[in-house]
Amino acid sequence: MIASTVIALGVSALGVNAPGPLAIFGLAPGATVLIGVLAFACWLGWRLGGGANTKIPVGIPIFVAAAGNDPRFAKLVSRYLMSACFWLLLGSAFGLLVAFKLVDPELLTDSSALTFGRVRPAHTMIVLFGWAGLALVGMGLYVVAKSAWLPMHQPLQRWELGAGNLALALWNAGVAGGVLLLLSGHVNAGREYRMFVWPAMVPIAIAVLLLAVLVYRLLARRQVKGVYISGWFILSALVWIAVVVVMGYQPRWTSGVADRVIDGYYIHNAVGMFFTPLAVGLTYYVLPKLLNKPIYSYALGVLGFFTHIVFYTVIGTHHYVHTAIPQWLETTSVVFSVAMIVPVWASTGNFLLTMKGERLAIAHSYSLPFIVVGVIAYGVASLQGSAESLPWVQETLHLTHYTVGHAHFAMYAFVSFLAWGAIYGLLPRLTGREPPVALVGVHFWLALAGILIYVLSMCIGGEQQGAAWVQGKSFMESVRLMSPYLVWRAVGGVLMFASHICFAVALWRMRPGAFSMAFGHQGASGLGQGEA
Amino acid sequence: MAFNIHQSHKMILLLPAGMYLLLVILCAVVPAEIERQREAQAPPAPEHPLVEKGRAVFRQLNCGACHTQQVRGDEHLALEIDGRRIVPVLAADRRFASEATGSAHYDHEDPAMMGTQRTGPDLTGVGARLPGTAWHHWHLHDPRAVSPDSVMPAYRFLYVDELPADAKDYEEVGRIDGLTGGPKLYATPKAVALVEYLLSMQGVKR
Ligand code: HEC
Ligand code: HEM
Repeated sequence: MIASTVIALGVSALGVNAPGPLAIFGLAPGATVLIGVLAFACWLGWRLGGGANTKIPVGIPIFVAAAGNDPRFAKLVSRYLMSACFWLLLGSAFGLLVAFKLVDPELLTDSSALTFGRVRPAHTMIVLFGWAGLALVGMGLYVVAKSAWLPMHQPLQRWELGAGNLALALWNAGVAGGVLLLLSGHVNAGREYRMFVWPAMVPIAIAVLLLAVLVYRLLARRQVKGVYISGWFILSALVWIAVVVVMGYQPRWTSGVADRVIDGYYIHNAVGMFFTPLAVGLTYYVLPKLLNKPIYSYALGVLGFFTHIVFYTVIGTHHYVHTAIPQWLETTSVVFSVAMIVPVWASTGNFLLTMKGERLAIAHSYSLPFIVVGVIAYGVASLQGSAESLPWVQETLHLTHYTVGHAHFAMYAFVSFLAWGAIYGLLPRLTGREPPVALVGVHFWLALAGILIYVLSMCIGGEQQGAAWVQGKSFMESVRLMSPYLVWRAVGGVLMFASHICFAVALWRMRPGAFSMAFGHQGASGLGQGEA
Repeated sequence: MAFNIHQSHKMILLLPAGMYLLLVILCAVVPAEIERQREAQAPPAPEHPLVEKGRAVFRQLNCGACHTQQVRGDEHLALEIDGRRIVPVLAADRRFASEATGSAHYDHEDPAMMGTQRTGPDLTGVGARLPGTAWHHWHLHDPRAVSPDSVMPAYRFLYVDELPADAKDYEEVGRIDGLTGGPKLYATPKAVALVEYLLSMQGVKR
C-alpha cells in the first residue's frame, strides 16, 4: 500500500511541472494533484470495500446500553458537545460571512468590527478551538473513561467531574473573550490560529492542563492492564497542545525571522498535534466499537503513533518555503511532510482494513458513513498536503485559495466528519436517546455535498489563480478569474451551514434524558424509554 | 518484570512528551534562537513614529489576511555578484520585485507580517509602485472606484466627509485623475498613519 501511495504521489507531483504528457489532457497542475489523489482513494475504496463475509453487528439496544450510566457523566460530555455545537453554528455563520464578503466586498463594511480582516480570524479561531477542540475533547473524555473500563455507574469521581466542568467553563470563556477582543481590534495579527490576544488564551491553556491531568488520572485508575491506543493519542494531544500554546505565546521569539520560524511551527503543530491525534484516537475506539470487531492491526496503530510524533512535529516550515527562513529548515520540513505518508496511511489503512467487508453494516448505520468519509478524507487530504509541500508545487499553489481548499478538506471532511461519527455513534449509548435517523441523513448529505463543492471550487480556482501568476498575467486577472469559484464556495458553505442546523437539532434530541437521570443508578430494565 | 509501555500510563505520558519536546527544541527553539542572535547584531530600525502607528493600524485591521509581504525566491539558484548574494525570484512573484526578500527585511519587526495568503497583491514594494498619497486614500475609501473588480473591502470608516469640530491630525485628501464627483474627503489620523506605512514599503531588503 505504501508503495502505491508513493506512486500516486509521484504521479500527481509530476503533473505539476510537466508540460508534456499531462498537458494533453489539458490538466492544470493543481487539478492533477487533486484528481490523482482522488482517483487513488477511489481505487482503494473499491479494493477494500468488497468482501463476501459481510455481517451486521448485533448491537444491544441503545437504551439498555445506556442504562446504568452515570447521569452526571452523561451531562458533562453532553455539555462539551452542546458548547461545541454552539461554536460550530456561530463559527460557520462567520465563515459564511467571510465567504459572502469575497463575493460582495461591500457587505458590512461600515464598522471595523465586521471588516474582513477581523471576521476571518474570528471564523478560524471559533471553529478550531470552539467547535473542533471541544467536540473532540468531550468525546475524548468518554472514550478514555470507557476504554479504561471504569465502572459504568461512576466513571468520574466528584473532583474529576468538577475539573471537567471547570475546564469547559474556562475554555468557553477563553473563546468568547477572545472573539470579543478580536472583533474590537485586539488582534494578535499575522499569527494564524493564534489570533486571540494572550489574555484570552490563558483560560484555554489552564483548561488544557486540567484536562490533561484529568485524562491522566482516568488512565491511571483503569480497570484493565493495558492502556488502549486511543488513550495514548488523547492524553498526548492534550500535553502537546499545551506545549504548542506556550510556544505560540512565549515572549522571546516574537520578531524578525525568528517570529516566522515559530509561526510555521505553531500553525502546523496546533493542527497536527492536537486535532489530528484526537480525531484519530477517537476513531481507534469508535470504529471497532460500532463494527463490533477488533481493529485490523494494533501494532500498526502504535507505529502510526510514534511516526506521527517524529514526522509531524517538524513539518511546520512548509508554510514558508522559498522565504527568508533558513534553507535547511525549509528542506527538512518538506522531506518530513512527504514522510507523513507513513503515519497517515498506517492509521488510514488500518481503519480501511477494519472496515473491509462491512459494507452492509455501514449502509445500515447512521454514524459509520461519517467515519468512512472522515477516514478517506484523512488519507486523501494528507496526501494532498504532502504534495503541496513540494517546492515546485508551491511555486504554483502556495498563497492561493488552493490552501483554503486543503484546510477545509482536512478540518472539515476529516476532523469534523470523524467528530460527528463519534458523536452519533457513542452519545446515544451514554444518554439513551437516539437522534431522528432521517435528520442525521440530511446532515450527512448536505455536509458532504457542501464540502465537496467547497473543496473542488477552491482547489480548481486556486490552481488557476496560481497558474495566472506564473504566466505573468496581471494581478487583477487572477482576482477576476476567482470570482465564479468564490460564488461556488459560498454555495457549498450554505449547504454546510444548513447541515450544521440539522446537527444542532439532532444533538438536542440526544440530550441526556429523564431516563438516564431517574434510572441511572438502578440499571433499569429499559421500561419507559421513549425516544430510542 | 519486563518493561511494557502498553501497561504503563506513566511512560505513555512521558515518552511522547519527551520525544515531542526534543523535536520542538530542534525544529523551533534552535532555529528561532539562531535567528534571534543574528537579528540582535543588526542595526536597530530607524524611528518613524507615524509609520509605526500606521503599522499598528494595519495589524488592527488585519490587512495581512489578504496581503503578503514576501517575495519568494529559489535559494538553490542564488548568485554571488560583487560580493552580494542575490536570490532570483520565483516566476509567480516576478511582478513584485527582481530580488527575493532576505531575512534583514524582517529585522525588529514584531510580528513579521510575511503572510500566508495572497488574495490581494504582495505589498513589499507598494510604496515605490504606487507613490501617490491621494491614490491610497481614495483606494482605501472605495477600492472599486479606482480598481473596478477588486474584492478588497472598503474602509470608509477611516474617513469623514466633514471635519469634526475638534479635528486634530486630520488631512484633506486631494483629487486624483479619473475620479470624478464624490464628496470631499478627509482622512482620519488612523488613515493618515496607515498610508504613511504603506508608502514606507519601498521594496525588498536583504
Ligand atoms: C479581502 C481581502 C483584502 C483585504 C482584507 C485587504 N485588501 Fe488590499 N487588496 C486586495 C485586492 C484583491 C487588491 C487588488 C485590487 C485593488 O487594487 O483593489 C488589493 C490592493 C491593495 C493595494 C494596492 C496594491 C497594488 O499593488 O496595487 C493596497 C495598497 C492595499 N490593497 C492595501 C490594503 C490595506 C492597507 C488593507 C487593510 C486596511 C487591505 N489592503 C486589506 C484585497 C484585500
Ligand atoms: C459553513 C461552513 C464554513 C464556511 C462557509 C467557511 C468559510 C471559510 C472562509 C471564507 C475562509 C477564509 C478563506 C479566505 O480567506 O479566502 C475560511 C478559512 C478557514 N476555515 Fe472555514 N468555513 C466553514 C467551516 C469551517 C469549519 C467547520 C472549519 C474547521 C473545523 C473551518 C476551518 C477553516 C480554517 C482552518 C481556515 C483558514 C484557512 C487558511 O488560512 O488557509 N471552516 N473558511
